[in-house]
Amino acid sequence: MNRRRVTVVAAAVGVVAGATGLGLLAMPAGAGPAPVLPDVSAEALVESVLNAKPAAFGGTVDVDNDLGIPAIGGVPQLSDGASNLRIWTDGAGKLRVQLPSGDSERTFVDDGQTAWMWDSAEQTVTKMPHGSFEHGEPDLSGEPKAAPTDPVTLSRQVVAAIQEYSDVTVDGTARVANRPVYELVLTPKPTEKTVLREVRVAVDAELRVPLRVAVLTNGTDAPAAQVGFSELNVGPQDASLFAFTPPAGAKVTEPEVEKPSAEDKAAAEQAFTEANPQVIGEGWDVVLAARVPQDALTGLADLQQQGQREGRWQEHGQGEDVDVQGLIKQLGKQVSGAWGSGTLITTRVGGVLIADDGRVAAGAVPEQVLVDAIGQVK
Amino acid sequence: MSALVATRAPLGRQLRSELRWILRRPRTVIGLASLCLVPILAGIGLWFAVDGEGPAGPGLAAIISGNGLVLPVFTLFLALPLLLPLVGAIWAADGLAGEAQHGTLRGLMISPVGRIRLLGIKAFGVATMTLFAVTLIAFVGAITGVVLFGGEGMLTLSGSTLSFGAALGRIVLTILLVTVQVWGVAAVALAISACTEHPLVVMAATMAGVIVFAVLGVFSALDWLHPYLITSAWEGLVDVMRDPLPTEGLWRSTALAACYIVIGMSLAAMRLATKDN
Repeated sequence: MNRRRVTVVAAAVGVVAGATGLGLLAMPAGAGPAPVLPDVSAEALVESVLNAKPAAFGGTVDVDNDLGIPAIGGVPQLSDGASNLRIWTDGAGKLRVQLPSGDSERTFVDDGQTAWMWDSAEQTVTKMPHGSFEHGEPDLSGEPKAAPTDPVTLSRQVVAAIQEYSDVTVDGTARVANRPVYELVLTPKPTEKTVLREVRVAVDAELRVPLRVAVLTNGTDAPAAQVGFSELNVGPQDASLFAFTPPAGAKVTEPEVEKPSAEDKAAAEQAFTEANPQVIGEGWDVVLAARVPQDALTGLADLQQQGQREGRWQEHGQGEDVDVQGLIKQLGKQVSGAWGSGTLITTRVGGVLIADDGRVAAGAVPEQVLVDAIGQVK
Repeated sequence: MSALVATRAPLGRQLRSELRWILRRPRTVIGLASLCLVPILAGIGLWFAVDGEGPAGPGLAAIISGNGLVLPVFTLFLALPLLLPLVGAIWAADGLAGEAQHGTLRGLMISPVGRIRLLGIKAFGVATMTLFAVTLIAFVGAITGVVLFGGEGMLTLSGSTLSFGAALGRIVLTILLVTVQVWGVAAVALAISACTEHPLVVMAATMAGVIVFAVLGVFSALDWLHPYLITSAWEGLVDVMRDPLPTEGLWRSTALAACYIVIGMSLAAMRLATKDN
């Protein structure tokens, strides 16, 4: 009798332990106590970030996207929801990025001379010259985009420019990917009309590279978008990671490096003049405005159809006549005013206003600012 | 007085007899034979698909051409959502509910074998047979794959090619990961099995549970629930085919299955301990 009771109690403990385990697994990984780090001023922190040397590292980046952007085929990292990507770099130009998506994967490898892009779903390899992914690389390596002649002066200028429109503060410390970080917070000045509440950048205490960037909007606690390392190993990486041999069965293509012809250039210039892109407002309230010619929209539709024929967009329908205006109208809501009428597409971090006559204004601002801006577009 | 001292049957002999008991059932033999057909049929289907234009299919099927060692992994992931849980549930159902239906469970309960030990032996039988079935599928799959598609190494989803030894390592890892997931389902099935005398109820309830979990996993509005569902971890197991191997998700899904095993076995023990003689 007693033994049976012991068994029942032990089994009940087992059930509770299993349920607790499930709960622990479902909980996001605890951040642990905030590390104690020497105080640093916000200005010095920003300057050190801008002057940070690129380091060799490998890690996993978690992307938490809640921007409200419609799904983009094949690249879950850009669509709403959580996804991740894996990145390795030797800090000297060699790079490997893997984009897992469902049960397929894309791998970019830049071995210093040649860049390769592998797509497991299509079994294709694209061969490109070194440096092709420079602009596509997520801005996490801490590499300054343009090498300034005097980094210190330049970084001071950047700090001054940021401080003109924002309050820059260091909001304590935290842990990201098990590394101590400073939390740098950029808050728009109260006079700014932006829909963004603040941008939080977690800066590695030792390397001074951003490990996590979160964008927070007015009215919510959860970030609208957060990109950050969940795992990071700093130090030299296995050299074999930066080598790539196209697998035997794969189709290797080498797109010709497009040198724009004079004709193309003239067309591009004309389109640029027609579009008359302009920047309205300043600081956080910047609105990019332009006039998109009607035939450009049609051209966009053609381009998309081409993509469909190549199978890249096959989930989105097969080459039927795309009505771009109709598509835009579906995505947003109709608005009209003294400036005309058009479609307003809002996301959590801003909006795009597309007038029926082709004028476009976009920015991280509320509707009224977009409307004001589009009225200024000639 | 000394004649009344119970001599305990050696554990090894009990476990052996349980395995012999399962293997001697005709349906076990028929079931294992039809499991062998799964990789062969999948291989033949993919062989025809590879001949066509473009990739043979989505996911792992896309890299199967000239890459036969992927077939065992492909087949295991193909069988994991429904077939393998069914197999685990059948053995769990036979273990307790089946014995109860034949009236033999009563005899086992009054025999000088502790009830927890009885449950342990039954669980051992189910676990061993599951591991055996999964290994069998992988073995037949590897042979079929190499015969149909050839290949000394293994092309991963990441585009790198593993050596033969590393490829075998990945196949063994897949076998272990998939087996643990089926154990998770079978443990819950064993708990149901302890509550009923009808093996069909166990199978139906287990399969219904697996299907309901899979359906719940589809709705993004229920994403708070997904980390608790054992089925939601199964898609992520394809990580085993990425290079370098991302271990975090694999550990997580294994830990999730372990929680199900603990819960299922505890419930089964609780029911068995309170069952009337």
